[in-house]
Amino acid sequence: MKFRWMFLMVLSAAAQSFAGQMITQPGKSPLVTIRLVFRTGAASDPKGKEGLAALTAAMVAEAGSRRLTYQQILDALFPMAVNIDDQVDKEMTTFSTETHVDNLEKFYGIFRDMVLDPGWREDDLRRLKDSAINFLQVSLRGNNDEELGKEVLYNEIYAGHPYGHYDIGRVSAIRSITMDDLKQFYRTHYNASNLTIAVAGGYPKDFPSRLQQDFSRLKGSADKLRLPAPKRIDGRELVMVEKQTRSVAISLGFPIDVRRGDADFVPLLVAKSWLGQHRSSGGRLYDRLREKRGLNYGDYAYIEYFPRGMYQFEPDPNLARKQQIFQVWIRPVKPETAHFALRLAIHELERFHRQGLSEEDFEQTRTFLSKYVNLLTKTKRAELGYAIDSQYYGIPNYNTYLKSALAKLTRDDVNRAIRKHLPMENMKIVVIAENCGKLRDAILSEARSPMKYNSPKPKEILEEDEIVEKLPLHVRKDSVKILPVNTVFE
Amino acid sequence: MLPALCTALLGISMLAQAAGPQQKAFPYAYDQHDFSNGLRLITVPTDYPNVVAVYIVVQTGSRNEIEPGKSGFAHFFEHVMFRGTKNMSPEEYEQRLKRMGASSNASTWDDRTIYHTTFSKEDLDELLRIEADRFENLSYSEDVFRTEALAVLGEYNKSSAEPLEKLNEVLYDTAFDKHTYKHTTIGFLKDIEDMPNQYAYSKVFFNRFYRPEYTTIIVTGDVSPVAVRAMVEKYWGNWRRGSYKVDIPAEPAHSGPRTNHVDWPSPTLPVISVAFRNSAYTDTEADSAALDLIGQLGFSRNSDLYRKLVIEDQTADFLAFDNFDHLDPNLFTVIARVKKEADVSRIRDQILATLKGFQDNPVPMDKLEAVKQHLRYAFALRLDNSEAIAMTLAHFISLRRTPETINRLYDRYAALTPADLQRIARKYFTENERTIVTLSTKQ
Repeated sequence: MKFRWMFLMVLSAAAQSFAGQMITQPGKSPLVTIRLVFRTGAASDPKGKEGLAALTAAMVAEAGSRRLTYQQILDALFPMAVNIDDQVDKEMTTFSTETHVDNLEKFYGIFRDMVLDPGWREDDLRRLKDSAINFLQVSLRGNNDEELGKEVLYNEIYAGHPYGHYDIGRVSAIRSITMDDLKQFYRTHYNASNLTIAVAGGYPKDFPSRLQQDFSRLKGSADKLRLPAPKRIDGRELVMVEKQTRSVAISLGFPIDVRRGDADFVPLLVAKSWLGQHRSSGGRLYDRLREKRGLNYGDYAYIEYFPRGMYQFEPDPNLARKQQIFQVWIRPVKPETAHFALRLAIHELERFHRQGLSEEDFEQTRTFLSKYVNLLTKTKRAELGYAIDSQYYGIPNYNTYLKSALAKLTRDDVNRAIRKHLPMENMKIVVIAENCGKLRDAILSEARSPMKYNSPKPKEILEEDEIVEKLPLHVRKDSVKILPVNTVFE
Repeated sequence: MLPALCTALLGISMLAQAAGPQQKAFPYAYDQHDFSNGLRLITVPTDYPNVVAVYIVVQTGSRNEIEPGKSGFAHFFEHVMFRGTKNMSPEEYEQRLKRMGASSNASTWDDRTIYHTTFSKEDLDELLRIEADRFENLSYSEDVFRTEALAVLGEYNKSSAEPLEKLNEVLYDTAFDKHTYKHTTIGFLKDIEDMPNQYAYSKVFFNRFYRPEYTTIIVTGDVSPVAVRAMVEKYWGNWRRGSYKVDIPAEPAHSGPRTNHVDWPSPTLPVISVAFRNSAYTDTEADSAALDLIGQLGFSRNSDLYRKLVIEDQTADFLAFDNFDHLDPNLFTVIARVKKEADVSRIRDQILATLKGFQDNPVPMDKLEAVKQHLRYAFALRLDNSEAIAMTLAHFISLRRTPETINRLYDRYAALTPADLQRIARKYFTENERTIVTLSTKQ
């Protein structure tokens, strides 16, 4: 992988007039991949205007430029089959696109105008506000209990913190955003010193310098983001969202003081991969909850933000954050088994913290990750995205970083990191369910939650169930809140 | 039309050819080989180093669920395939995949089930060996089977908050009487709940369809066709051919339009779907290609209706069409999410008027050419890594068992004229074969 890194040139802008960063990866492909990442995002939303960063990005990528209306842009891009994707997270705003080199000139002219000279039309704003609000009220609150649970978990953990609202915003805040707010946010945060431009493929030789020259026009400057530590979680806290639904979605977690590049990041990556590699049937939680007991469709663990996990197997890049959480995703369970499923997850997490990984588990997971990492950067889009993230975290190429750290890693490193960073006493538990009160009462009273199976189970499982069905969850009574779903992200 | 894939993108040095007017749409050289037991192997060497993708396509899906009470079974069986063999426990299978650093999964749809793994090239022999083992020697106890049935219910549950899932279920149930497309791939809830009791039937299902003559192995990436052929011969060569031929009931002609409505229990936006029985996938006639073009012209993001509903009037926040390729006639569907209930019937009329417009008027040549160009670029843009190539191929293999069908389909697109579109619109958009289903919050 070192070999490849040599071709991935990071041109510091010192020698150019461009104040940002440039990553170039020239190649023979007739495809040209472009990725613009501004170091700004939802954490910079002003109070009362939550959603401003996301709406600004939408006004750039999903609306007209001053020269062309949105419809004219769609018409022009259609024969080229080009899409422009925008992604806003707490600290990064990404515009990514890909075109055939034959169309590069025509496409680039349109794209450049969109980013450098947005149209700021009221009808675009009205459409995009509606779209954001419908997303929150219908797609997220109404139709996707799993993502809702995960995002409520983040909101709760970061309450009162710049990370404390969902990236798309809040309904009433989005309604209050004006065109002037958007222009102001754009002028301040879309500046060249905040920007990394990454380009790959068979582009003309002078293309990177044209990009730098063009984007040097962005002159604003923003204050540096300052993040307080998230509020300490005291014991086990329970937040429930009441809605009409046939199953119960559960997410739980707590902040960790580890991010990519830190000494304990790779040890924790091994730990979480063993516990619950995303959408893989090889994780411990998956095996105990789904394979052995048929409680649900899957159970996974995370140490970095991973939205939209129900739709994809690999994480999107450019969701880099200064602060991350440890998170467990328990896919929806039947209401009658929800209490047991939560207990079983906690039982597994406590054991995980107590015992860590065996030598065999460690070796197997290390081998898995050192090969699996190749699959993460199988497209140019991902490769450029990972390169930008590596720049953010101050690490070399991700493959090199991970493989060299894994090569030196020991089981003790992993188990020590688990003990240090993943104590299971203090956490937020989020539950999306109907009749929350009933489940809350059962949890608070520590009532037994025996399992009934539709087939005979091995002795080992039945014996474990006897422990799990009465496992104290120790949820703090005064921490419990039940939120009606229509108040969430409102 | 291909189902939308999450991976999109581009075919490297081949794209220049792919986009060119005289070149084949599928730009890769491939090796297609039939073994004596009926198994087919398609190997596509690519320029992408180190990585290999293996996609095993079984031509059975929810279309093959012909007995009453068995809806969803093909999908359930996909789960069972991960439950161990005479030689290897599920845990051991998992451990082997883990050692490969593999990304592995499976999916089921109306006409096929696909088992796929992406991994490093040095593990190809091992992967083909363990996959052959489960296709030939699958073995699971009734206890394990009953537990897995609960995971399928969990899968139904995790999607149950999504109104479009329900809308789709009702649309197909309404639009079909006899054909197995009447039920969706996940199946009816009552059948899913009964799955734990179907252990004996699961053996029947396996014996019928998990046979070499129903199966095609696709291998793409950093591979040599000669070596792959030898590996497949070694591990899959003794797999026994079956004899079962499935008899799918044909859907009779309908005698009038149909409508249905879904009352959704919680707050949501109204959705309308307007569907017509379409053509079975064909790469020799104009029909399915012409319907794809009509869909693009009428309802894609640069269509006049999209401009009106989504961008100008802003009465809908979503408009799209489906004309997914199927082995038998399925549905051409236009779907819109509407902002206000009061606009639903007007938008329905606008969708119908747009479809009638294709019957009444030839489309302008420049618009037709723009769509043809779009489809060709969009296809080439998908093929930017070995896994994406295998995934794209798997769809076409499930229909015709050869990559050549892609080239034939794109030749059909290229040859279409405004008159063809008008003829096909008149043939399929008939009132008798129309089904309209709406969904809105229960009052």
